[in-house]
Amino acid sequence: MKKNYLLAKWLNNELSAQELAEFEASPDFEKYQKIKKYSEHLEVGALDEDTMLATILQHKKETPKVISISKKWILRIAAIFILGIGLTFAMQNFIPQSQVANYAQKTSFYLPDDSQVVLNSGSKIEFKKWKWKSHRKLELDGEAYFKVAKGRRFEVITNLGKVTVLGTQFDVKARKNKFDVTCYEGRVKVNYKNSQIILTHGQSVTFENNKQINTTTTSLKPEWIDGIIAFKNENIQNILDELQRQYDITIQLKSNTSNSLFTGKLPSNNLEVATRIISTTYNLKARKINSTTIIFEEK
Amino acid sequence: MTEDYKSNTCNEIIFSSFFKKNIKALRNFLFYKFGNEEMAQDLAQEAFIKLWQNCASVPIEKAKSFVYTIANNSSINEIAHKKVVLKYEKNFNGIDQTNENPEYLLEEQQFQTKLLKAIENLNVKHRQAFLMHRIDGKKYSEIAQELGITVKAVEKRIHLALVTLRENIDL
Repeated sequence: MKKNYLLAKWLNNELSAQELAEFEASPDFEKYQKIKKYSEHLEVGALDEDTMLATILQHKKETPKVISISKKWILRIAAIFILGIGLTFAMQNFIPQSQVANYAQKTSFYLPDDSQVVLNSGSKIEFKKWKWKSHRKLELDGEAYFKVAKGRRFEVITNLGKVTVLGTQFDVKARKNKFDVTCYEGRVKVNYKNSQIILTHGQSVTFENNKQINTTTTSLKPEWIDGIIAFKNENIQNILDELQRQYDITIQLKSNTSNSLFTGKLPSNNLEVATRIISTTYNLKARKINSTTIIFEEK
Repeated sequence: MTEDYKSNTCNEIIFSSFFKKNIKALRNFLFYKFGNEEMAQDLAQEAFIKLWQNCASVPIEKAKSFVYTIANNSSINEIAHKKVVLKYEKNFNGIDQTNENPEYLLEEQQFQTKLLKAIENLNVKHRQAFLMHRIDGKKYSEIAQELGITVKAVEKRIHLALVTLRENIDL
């Protein structure tokens, strides 16, 4: 192995006297000697070192600027991102979330604690996600059915009154000046102006113009969930309003004689049947102007 | 980070003297590899620019290995390899002035030409090590450090370079 690199040692003048003598005696020595001699006098093209150094030194001044600018930009971009994330977080948690069911539409959704809400047509709910578990409070405009998950106090606030519960199923309807609450399971506390009433399952209460009407129901959930509109002692205008919401149509009533109250069920998915029931009950004639307008008039 | 480490490399006088001491060898080092003098010059300059820009984080003791590492890593594929064309020093003719035998003179000149040709045709690694020793007068230990190999490997390369040169000159 060592012998292999003897030439390298010789070129570097590292050979011992004996090794050198042996090598000088070999037939190739003369050629190697010439290679050594001539290769020592080789050269590579000249180099303008001063110009190059000046060029290199110039590069210094540009770089720190570039770095600082890019760092600033990174900071700016990072700031925008953080702000964006913060805003999104705030929006989701502090700004009220709203769920809307337009006319002829029902919306079902879950609250952060897995309580289920079904919104009837033309209704709206607003709530805040922030601390939902300890402050279960929402605002309702219209009608909704709640299946509340067990937990702390759950409040439904409407412009007519307040319903407070502890894990139950109930329906709240706040339309115009009529406030309906039906309890299907558990216990519900209803506040209306100065009065307070507690409902247990199967009980229902209606407040209208300071009048309180207590009724009972055998249903396990509101009829409207299954596409049926149930009325109890309802005047015709309220019935037609409900139909407008359910079918997203315009209904005009051209009669003053229909004052009797209606108790019964109407389908919310078959306008023709619903129209026929109304016209028969009140002895009116239904005239369909176009696909979205119906006029009820005296015969 | 750059603030608390005051590297002496950033001192212009120290940097300049380091540059003068090493630039030519570095340029040659690249030239032996690619044979392209212009490229070698650009790459060497590039390596020193990087050193200057990173002067705060590279102390002068590590500057040499820094520039050689950059030079070694420079995208070799992009470089157009050329023949390593060398020449003899201007005022050297290498010929024994006392001997005027025309046959001898001719032989010597032929030998010189053959040697250049043989170096051109050397394996890149062998040529690099050989010329670093012959032209730049570097020690084997220095060559080993700059190429990132052991001294033993340098000796092997130079040994093989000599063997190949001798064989090719004979042809």
